[in-house]
Amino acid sequence: MSHLLDLEGVSKRFGGVQAVDQVDFHADQGEIVGVIGPNGAGKTTLFNVVTGFYGPDSGKIRFDGNNLVGLKPNQITKVGIARTFQAVRLFGAMTVLENAMVGQHPRTRAGVFGALFHTSSTRSEEERVQAKAGAALDFFGDRLSPRLNSLASELAYADRRRLEIARAMATEPKLLLLDEPAAGMNPAEKDGLIELIGRLRDEKGYSIVLIEHDMPVISGVSDRVVALDYGKKIAEGTYEEVAANQQVIEAYLGKSATQGQT
Amino acid sequence: MTAPATSSRRLRFERLPLRRIILISLSIAIVYGVVAGSAATLRMGTFTAADWRSLVINGIARGSVYALIAIGYTLVYGILFMINFAHGEVFMSGAYTAFFVAVAFGRSGYLNAHPLVSIGAILIVSMVTSTLVAVILERVAYRPLRGAPRLVPLITAIGASFFLQYTFRGLYGAQARAYPTINVLQGTWTIFGVEILRTQVIVVVAAILLWIALFTFVAKTRTGRSMRAVGEDREIAALMGINVDRTIVATFAIGGALAGAAGILYVFLFNQVIFTMGFFPGIKAFTAAVLGGIGSVTGAAMGGLLLGVLEAVGPNLFLTGVGVPSPNQLQPVVAFGILVLVLIFLPGGFLGAPEEKRA
Amino acid sequence: MRAALSRDNVRAGLIGGVTVLYLALVGMIERFQDRDVITDVIGLGTLLILIGLAGTGYMASRPPKPRPGRKPVTANPALIGLVAGTTAGVLAGAVILILELLISAGVDVRSVLASVTPGMLSTMEFGLGPVGGALILVGLGAALGAGAGALRLLSDQLRDTVTFTLTAVLLMSLMEPILSAVLDGLSLPDRWLYEGGGLTVLGAVLTVVAAGAGRWFWKEREPQRKEAVALLPADRRTLYRKLAVFAAVAFLVVLPWLVGSFISDVLGTVGLYVLLGLGLNIVVGYAGLLDLGYVAFFAVGAYATGVLTSPASYLVREEGQLFAEKGLTNFWVALPFVVLIAVIIGILIGAPVLRLRGDYLAIVTLGFGEIIRTLVLSDWLAPYLGGAQGLLNVPPPPPEALDLRAPQNVYYLILVFCGIAAFVAWRLSDSRIGRAWAAMREDESVAEAMGVSIIRYKLLAFAMGAGVGSLGGVFFAAKIGSIFPNSFGLLVSINVLSVIILGGLGSIPGVIVGSAVLVGLPELLREFAEFRLLIYGAILVAIMILRPEGLVPNKRRQRELHARDAEAELSVIVTDEATS
Repeated sequence: MSHLLDLEGVSKRFGGVQAVDQVDFHADQGEIVGVIGPNGAGKTTLFNVVTGFYGPDSGKIRFDGNNLVGLKPNQITKVGIARTFQAVRLFGAMTVLENAMVGQHPRTRAGVFGALFHTSSTRSEEERVQAKAGAALDFFGDRLSPRLNSLASELAYADRRRLEIARAMATEPKLLLLDEPAAGMNPAEKDGLIELIGRLRDEKGYSIVLIEHDMPVISGVSDRVVALDYGKKIAEGTYEEVAANQQVIEAYLGKSATQGQT
Repeated sequence: MTAPATSSRRLRFERLPLRRIILISLSIAIVYGVVAGSAATLRMGTFTAADWRSLVINGIARGSVYALIAIGYTLVYGILFMINFAHGEVFMSGAYTAFFVAVAFGRSGYLNAHPLVSIGAILIVSMVTSTLVAVILERVAYRPLRGAPRLVPLITAIGASFFLQYTFRGLYGAQARAYPTINVLQGTWTIFGVEILRTQVIVVVAAILLWIALFTFVAKTRTGRSMRAVGEDREIAALMGINVDRTIVATFAIGGALAGAAGILYVFLFNQVIFTMGFFPGIKAFTAAVLGGIGSVTGAAMGGLLLGVLEAVGPNLFLTGVGVPSPNQLQPVVAFGILVLVLIFLPGGFLGAPEEKRA
Repeated sequence: MRAALSRDNVRAGLIGGVTVLYLALVGMIERFQDRDVITDVIGLGTLLILIGLAGTGYMASRPPKPRPGRKPVTANPALIGLVAGTTAGVLAGAVILILELLISAGVDVRSVLASVTPGMLSTMEFGLGPVGGALILVGLGAALGAGAGALRLLSDQLRDTVTFTLTAVLLMSLMEPILSAVLDGLSLPDRWLYEGGGLTVLGAVLTVVAAGAGRWFWKEREPQRKEAVALLPADRRTLYRKLAVFAAVAFLVVLPWLVGSFISDVLGTVGLYVLLGLGLNIVVGYAGLLDLGYVAFFAVGAYATGVLTSPASYLVREEGQLFAEKGLTNFWVALPFVVLIAVIIGILIGAPVLRLRGDYLAIVTLGFGEIIRTLVLSDWLAPYLGGAQGLLNVPPPPPEALDLRAPQNVYYLILVFCGIAAFVAWRLSDSRIGRAWAAMREDESVAEAMGVSIIRYKLLAFAMGAGVGSLGGVFFAAKIGSIFPNSFGLLVSINVLSVIILGGLGSIPGVIVGSAVLVGLPELLREFAEFRLLIYGAILVAIMILRPEGLVPNKRRQRELHARDAEAELSVIVTDEATS
C-alpha cells in the first residue's frame, strides 16, 4: 500500500545553507511520526516545504494521490494537511469561535452572491460552520468551549496552543502537522498533550507528524521517530532505536554543551 | 465529524493561474511596445544625434537630483523599514526657505558680486531648514509609532506630507516664485567638444561630491556604523550600547541635509519654487530608490540616474514612432510604469537584498 | 509653586505658544476671524487663540504618567496651568511684538511670511496695538492657563459638563448655515438665534443653559440609565434598534426638503464621499490593502459613463446611430456595463501587484492612479476621452420627468447608491468572505495555511472596491454632466482615505461621520476650504498617533489594535523560524 504522505529526495537550500538535504520521509494512514533533531536541523523547513510555504528545490512530495509540488499552501490545506506553528499564531483580534470558524474555510464555498443575499444554502452552510467549529472546540473538554466569545489573545498560553490545534482540526484534515506542541508547557500539561495526541488519532482518525524537543512526549506518542541533523535524515525507527543511534547521540551531545535542552 | 471521502479530495488545481497569465502577457506587450516603438522612432529620424545627446544629459542632471533625494528614502527605509512619504516636502522646505535669502542677496546685488559665497549661504540655509524639518518630523510624527503595524507610519507620513505642503503654502503663499538669476550659472561650457549647460554640469558634479561624502560617512564614521547596526537589528544594537534614538535622528538629519542640497540643485535646473514642488520629485526619488534596491546608497544613486535618463529619453524614444502626439505628457506614465514593473519583476531592485518571501 | 515651575511645564507652554503662532502664521487665525462665533462678541479666530492658550494649560496639567525612577511631581494643576499658559502667552506676545517692530523698522515681512497681515496682527493683539496686544496675550495666557488647569480640580461630572457646554456653543455656531436653512425651510424665525453668520448673544446664552443643564442631568442619570438598558428584554432591544434605524432612514429621506437646495447639493457631495469611502473601506478596512490610487476607479466610472452616454464621446459620435438605436446611450443601461468595466480594470491592475508587500502596494497603486489621470489628460487619448477639455454634455439620468440633476433629486440618487454599497459592505464583512479578509489582514501566512487563497481574496476586495468606486464616478458624471480630468487627481484618493481613517477603518457608520466632518464642514464653512488639506494632513497624523481605530471604531479593528499591544511583548521574543 502506498504511503499517505511520501517525500522522496526532497531538498531545500537558502543561500549557503542546505536546510533540507535529500530527505526521504513518509507517514502512513493512522500513524504518529515524531521528528527530532537539534535546533536548525531543518525540521520546521521540512514542514514549510510540505505545506507549500517553500517550494522544494528538488524531490517529490505526494499526498493521498496528489502531487503537492507546485501547490500553494491554501491548496494543500484543501487536500487535507493542516498545521500548527512553532510560535502560536492565532488571530488575536478574533474570538475563540471565530478562529475555529476560519479553519472551516476550505470546506465551504459560499461566495459573493450567497453572502449578499443570504441564500438558503449559505445560511445552512454558516450553521454547519458554527457547528463544526464548535465540535472542534468541544474536543478539548471544558478548556475552550466555555470561552467561545473571548478573544484569542486573552487565552492562557496552553489554551492558545489548544486553540491552534482546534483551528487546524476545523479544516478537516487527514494529516496533522504539529510544530513543537509541547513548547512552554508544564509537566502536567505535557501529559495531557500526550493523551490528546493519542485521542486525535484514535477518535478522529488523523495521521500525525510532530516536531518536538521534549523526549518524553516523543517517546509517549510516536509510532516511529525520524531524526534530522544539518538537513539530512540520520536515523529512523522506534524511539528506542533512534535514541540508541550513535549519530543521533552525537548530534545532540555535540551541541548540548552550548544549547540547553527543552 | 469524520473526514470526508477520499475521492472528493482528489482535486485538480490550476497550476498556471490568472495572475501569471496577466503578468506574462503584460511583459510581452511592454517589451514589444518598447522595441517596436523605439525602432519606429529611430527609423523616422525625427530626432538627431544631438537631440538624443541633450536629452540624455538633461536626464542625467535631473537624475542626479532624484539620486540625492532618493538617498533620504533609502537611509530611512534601511533603518526603520518605513517609506517616509513626506521626504519630498523636506526637499521643498529647504529650497523654498532659501529662496528668500536668494532674493535678499539678489536685491542687494551681493548675489552676482560674490556668487560663490551667496550660493554657499543659500545652500546652507536650505540644508539647515530641510534638516530641521526632517528631524522635527521624526520626533513629532514618527517616533510615537515605532513598532506599530507597518501601514500606520505610512499613513502618518502621507498625512505629514500634506500637512507640510499646506503649512508652507500658509507661511509663504500659494504662488510659484522664480529664483533670481545667477550670472555665473548662465551659458554653457564645452566639455569634450559637447556644449553643455553650466547648471547641468554643476548639478552633476555637486551630486557626485555629496554622494561621495555621504558614502564615506556611512562607511567610516561611528554614526554611520551605528546606522547600519540599527538597521540590522534595533534591539541588539541597543544592547550593544548604541543610542537608537540618536541614530535614527541622525539618519533623518542626513537625509534631510541631502534633500536640502538637492532642493538647490533642482532650483538651478528648473529655477522655480512652489509649495507643491516636492511631491513629484519625491515620488520619483522613491521610485529611484526602489529601482536601485531600497536600503542601498549606491543603488539610490544608480536608480536616480537611470530613472532620470529613462524619463527624459523614454517617452520620445518609445512613443514618437507609434504616433503618440506630445509624448512628453506621458512622462509620469514612464516613471510610474518603471516603478510598477520593477516592483513586480525585481522587488529587490538592482542592488538590494532579495525580498524575503514572507515578512 | 516650585513644582509648577518644572521644565516640563515650561516646555508645554512653549509648545502651546508655538502652536498659537503657527495658527497665526499659516493664516488660519485671520481667515477664521471672518466668521463670528457670537456676533459682535467673539470671532472664530479669536476663539482659536483662546482655545490654544487654554489648551496649553489643560494639556500641561494632565496627571503625569508614572515613570520609573522619577518621583511624580505633585503640584496644583491650576498653578501648572498658570505657568504653562503664561509661558505660551509670553512667547506669542514676544513674537508678535518683534514682528511689529520689524514692520515699523521698514522690513517687508509680508514678502516672506505671507500671512503677517495687519488683519492677523490686529486679531492677535485683540485690537489693542502692539504693546497692549503683547500684554493681553500674556494676561490671557495666565488666566486661561490657570483656569483650564483648575478644571482638573473639578469633579468629573462638572468638568465634563463645562467642556461639553463650551463645545456645544462652538458647534451651534458652526452649524449656522444648516440650522438657519432649516428654520427658513420651516418658515420659522431665526433672527433670535443667528445673526450675521454667528450666534446672537441670546442664542449663545440659551445654548449654554440648554447644553449645560442637559449634560449635567444626562451624566447624573447615567448609572440608572445603563441599568435600565441592561434590564431590557432582548426582543425589546431589537425592536428599539429597528425603530432607531427606521427613524434614521426616514430622517435621511426628508432631509433635503428640510435644508433646501444649496445644502442638498452639499449633501450630494458628502454622499459621494460616503460612497467612495464605503468602497475604499472594503479594500483598506476589510482586506487591509492600502490603496492610494482609488481615484482611478472613480475616474473609470465617470469616463466610462461619459464615453457610453455622452453625445460628445467618440463611441456615440462615430457609432452613434447604432448606439442610439439600440437605446444603449441610456444612463441606466450603461450603468451595469460601467461597473463591469471597472471591476475588470480592477482585476487587471490588481492581479500583478497584489502579491507586493503592503507599503509597496500603496505606492504602486498611487502610481496607477497617476497613470490613469495622465492618460485621460493626454493628447494621445483626447479623441476618445476629451483630453484637457474633458467630456461634456453627459445627459442626466432619464426619465426627464424626475429631473435627476436638481440637487434635491440627485441626493436621492446618491442615497440609493450609498444604500446599496453599505448593504454590500455589511453583508460581505459579516460572512465567510469577511472572515477570510479579517484572517488575511491579521496574518497572511496563517490565513493561507487555513486554506484562504490570498490572491483570490485580495482580488475580490480590489474588484469590489473598484465596482463601488466606479459607482461614485457614475454618480459624479450624472450630477455634474461634464467630466474634467482635473477632478481625478491624487487628492481625491487622499480625501477618501482621510474620511475612512477619521471615521474608523472597517466601520460603516464611521464612513458617514468621517465624510460629514471632512467633506460637509469645509463645504459649508468656506473659511475652512483653504486649510482643508492642512487639516486633513494633521488629522491623519493625529488619528494614527492618538486613536488609530478612528472616531466610530469597528469592533474587530479596535481589538486588533489593542490585541497588538498585549501581544507585542510575545512577538518580540518569539520569532518564528517557520515563516520569517
